[in-house]
Amino acid sequence: MTAPLAPFSLVRPADVAAAVAAYHDQPDSRYLGGGTDLLVNLRRGIKTGSQLIDVAMIPELCELACGGGGARIGASVSIARLAAAPEIRARYPALSEAAAAVAGPAHRNAATVGGNLCLDTRCIYYNQSDWWRSALGFCLKHRGEVCHVAPQGQRCHASFSGDLAPALLVLGADVEVAGRAARRQVPLAHLYQEDGRAHLTLSPGELIVAVHLPPDPPPSAYEKVRLRRSVDFPLAGVAVALRLAADELASLRIAVTGTNSCPIMLEGTDALLGRPLDAPALLKLDKLVQKQVHPMRTALTQANYRRHAAAAMARRLAERLASAARCAGST
Amino acid sequence: MSGEPCATAARPGVPLIDGVEKVTGRARYTADLDRRNALVGRIFRSPVSHGKIVRLDVSRARRLEGVMAVIVGEDCPKTYGVLPVAMNEYPLARGKVRYRGEPVAAVAAVDAETAVRALALIDFEVSELPAYFTSESARAPDAVLLHEDRPGNLERAVHHVFGDVEAGFATADLVREARIECAEVNHAQMEPHAALAEYDPLHGRLTMQSVSQVTFYLHLMLARCLEMEESRIRVIKPFIGGGFGARVEVLNFEIVTALLARAAEGRVLMELTREENFLTHRARPQTAISLKLGMRRDGRLTACECEVAQRGGAYGGYGIVTILYAGALLHGLYAIPAVKYDGYRVYANLPPCGAMRGHGSVDTRHAFEVLLDRMARELNLDPFAVRRMNLLSAPTRTLNELMVNSYGLPECLDRVERASGWRERIGRLPRGKGLGMACSHYVSGAAKPIHWTGEPHAVVNLKLDWDGGVTALTGAADIGQGSSTMVAIAVAETLGVPLERIRVIAADSALTPKDNGAYSSRITFMVGNAAIDAARRLRDILTDAAAAKLRVPREAVECSAGVFRAPNNPVSVLSFEDAAKAALVGEGTLTVKGTFTCPPEAQGGKHKGGAVGSTMGFSYAALAVEVWVDEDIGRVSVDRVWVALDCGYAINPLAVTGQIEGAVWMGMGQALCEETRYLEGLPAHASLLEYRVPTSIDSPPIEVQIVESRDPLGPFGAKEASEGALASFAPALIAAIANAIGIDLNELPATPDRIVEALVARRRRSQLDSLRGAAR
Repeated sequence: MTAPLAPFSLVRPADVAAAVAAYHDQPDSRYLGGGTDLLVNLRRGIKTGSQLIDVAMIPELCELACGGGGARIGASVSIARLAAAPEIRARYPALSEAAAAVAGPAHRNAATVGGNLCLDTRCIYYNQSDWWRSALGFCLKHRGEVCHVAPQGQRCHASFSGDLAPALLVLGADVEVAGRAARRQVPLAHLYQEDGRAHLTLSPGELIVAVHLPPDPPPSAYEKVRLRRSVDFPLAGVAVALRLAADELASLRIAVTGTNSCPIMLEGTDALLGRPLDAPALLKLDKLVQKQVHPMRTALTQANYRRHAAAAMARRLAERLASAARCAGST
Repeated sequence: MSGEPCATAARPGVPLIDGVEKVTGRARYTADLDRRNALVGRIFRSPVSHGKIVRLDVSRARRLEGVMAVIVGEDCPKTYGVLPVAMNEYPLARGKVRYRGEPVAAVAAVDAETAVRALALIDFEVSELPAYFTSESARAPDAVLLHEDRPGNLERAVHHVFGDVEAGFATADLVREARIECAEVNHAQMEPHAALAEYDPLHGRLTMQSVSQVTFYLHLMLARCLEMEESRIRVIKPFIGGGFGARVEVLNFEIVTALLARAAEGRVLMELTREENFLTHRARPQTAISLKLGMRRDGRLTACECEVAQRGGAYGGYGIVTILYAGALLHGLYAIPAVKYDGYRVYANLPPCGAMRGHGSVDTRHAFEVLLDRMARELNLDPFAVRRMNLLSAPTRTLNELMVNSYGLPECLDRVERASGWRERIGRLPRGKGLGMACSHYVSGAAKPIHWTGEPHAVVNLKLDWDGGVTALTGAADIGQGSSTMVAIAVAETLGVPLERIRVIAADSALTPKDNGAYSSRITFMVGNAAIDAARRLRDILTDAAAAKLRVPREAVECSAGVFRAPNNPVSVLSFEDAAKAALVGEGTLTVKGTFTCPPEAQGGKHKGGAVGSTMGFSYAALAVEVWVDEDIGRVSVDRVWVALDCGYAINPLAVTGQIEGAVWMGMGQALCEETRYLEGLPAHASLLEYRVPTSIDSPPIEVQIVESRDPLGPFGAKEASEGALASFAPALIAAIANAIGIDLNELPATPDRIVEALVARRRRSQLDSLRGAAR
């Protein structure tokens, strides 16, 4: 519990290619954004790395462009800058709201978009000191054999708690990833898988360069629940993008964070399309959420509550967006 | 009332005299002290909750290069503890470990890396015993004992009956019961624990600088555990970043640091991590309260029956006092004809609990006020009116022999009722909005000291020298509460000089008179009175000298604004400096002493445990909270708070306001979101991320009203100001939630999951009821 931070070297490459090259020169490297997640984990000894590659100042990664063709948000754009950007607020309100809800003001100044997307999964048995974890023989996610959350199971249930991912998912974002050979652009959902120990599908050394957003997504919103109104990670966070046509649901996309090992896109919302968002539809929506989110005992707040809260927020965000759309339609 | 403030120089309040140092970063806290040549201390802590030590081999650690000392339990055969009757703890475990995180061995090394490597080389083997993490399991008949001499794993059972309880309930129109559970909380003071010890082998002397609130007790325990003469030890308190009771008993790491310094024959700096702070703990225990109240139709209380179980952790600490306070302070706030109290302080395999702001009184008061509110509702009575039906009338003595000389609660009620617009707003708020109120009180210093010596309860020395400066020497530990400023004001007001003339030196055993420390809100009352007494003596000497110099009779001389004059004789004016010079002629440097001793009638009843709760005077508080409850997700927002506190007299209104706001805010933390949580005896909450102290945006506007009842024995009439309001918050919040959404919560804190659970339970009940109705 009292071990000092292990020594590491720090490099500041000038561009993406140099960053990726630096990684492959020393494969136990880690990319460093704002450090609000990584440095804490290094101090706790749950992450290691002999070299940190600071990508926070690579010019290409710091670009934020929003125009007719959509938006391109560099991976090193700070969360605070994203939250304050008026063009993001106007067109992608869910993303703006999610950014403003990340941690506390000091974290947002340092933390980056790429860092938030690649946030390590969290668990009350994992985000503890070395002394603490060793007293229980460590855990499946790090150095141990057993998941203390579900000791009978074979997988790690640590939960993903990034705020930006669900907002970007409902807005239809792609991520641009740089590897050793080439760049690729994939839907954001492809970045994740439901495994607390390996929730990112990136290959070793791959670096997120930017997030791409389509130009005209439906109106959207984000809400998270936490014990305090600042600092805390989401116990559950929900993003909704919704469009009405003649008072009937034309599109509905919902994504949830904080409840599973990766952000999840809600399936089955298509069944609600072509009808008004009335009480039975909201009840169906509630059931969809409750069925698809799988919070476990990874936080100190009851798992059941996190499921309930996710459903409640999905319901009310959908209602709020629908009623805003109806108001806009009637004027 | 002791003393009359003459110039009221401190109104409407002055910034703390050490405030600038703190906000500019100039103040040096323990971890900021000169660490050159200091070895780094680290503690090896038990990884198991309960067990017999089979093997502890530190030879590999000792052999590591750069390790200057390794110590184990065998190096200190003396127990330590704050209560002479309950010292059952060794600085480093001997024979047995009783909680995960208990110190077992310690290392001093040239740097942190080496110290941590040495810890990893310690071989520790334990034969595990069953571990108990709840009061119930620890009290089970077949439970293994944590301490052989404590059957049933009970540290103390208290059984007090005052008045005829049965008769009281018989005359009640309404009798109701509640079972309330309050989670364990921690002080979470901003400055982590640290100590710097220096042992000088040439002179056999030890100098200790630490975060202590109780430097005298630290001095005593260092002498005991190191088996040194008291005169060879010096204890100095640097700036302190918050106490709240965290440092109100001597802590294991302090003694360990001193033992390491002696073993290494040098300087050792020990800095604990936040996790280690939570393991050191000594805070408010998890508490279960079963309460029964009897009330007449008009709201008058007829009887109270209360059973309290506190999960005290692995060692005694302050436990006996905490469980006694929980019962004693059922008295002193309202007039109740009969009170029965049964308290159980239970051992469990968790970090030891201790004293925390509102020591012992908070959770019981919470349960009491919550049940009072529910019964008032049932009888259709206004919560303010119910309190007014049960007021004391001062001066009086309570059933359990507590002295009440001043009682500002009625005015507190009036002020809060008015300020919150209660009458106009209650019952007229929109859905989800609610108002709630509650009252509380706290002692102004324990009237009977823990260590009986026959000495006064407080001593202050004043030194006046040729430069005209007055230096106040006090052993009282300023921990941020403003006690040094209070001493300066008390002296300045009594002498009739500007505050700037006074310099305060506090808590250095080589310089300042002994003081029992910063606990039970004793400093303002006791040290304040001693400071006034000292200043009066100095004023007498100066007045005599001034009269002689001015050639006027002594009775004709006054001092105000730092000038001695004879009002009848306008030309007879003498500056303070000239008066001081005159007084020094033939005498040299002046040193005067003031003292304060609590009168015997303040020291409580003759029954066993009767000293706990006894005090010179109680502070009284009334508080109202306005909330908004988001029923979808169970979140409670605290929108506004109104609070009034009777502190007797506000010696420094600015500091009093700050202390009241702090108490309200700390009460809010306990009520809303703070709780410790152990997983198999490991603290899952041991960071400021998981232990959720409210942030600034969770904090509502707090409207503070100061009520001044002028206590007849208080310094200028003052009483305590920083604990009394805390216990009002949680019950007021629970009442406000009930007002907003009709849910009666029986647990603290009122987290969203608990609220949603209660809402779901209510929905199920009403569904069940309607099904039953349909079946009929």
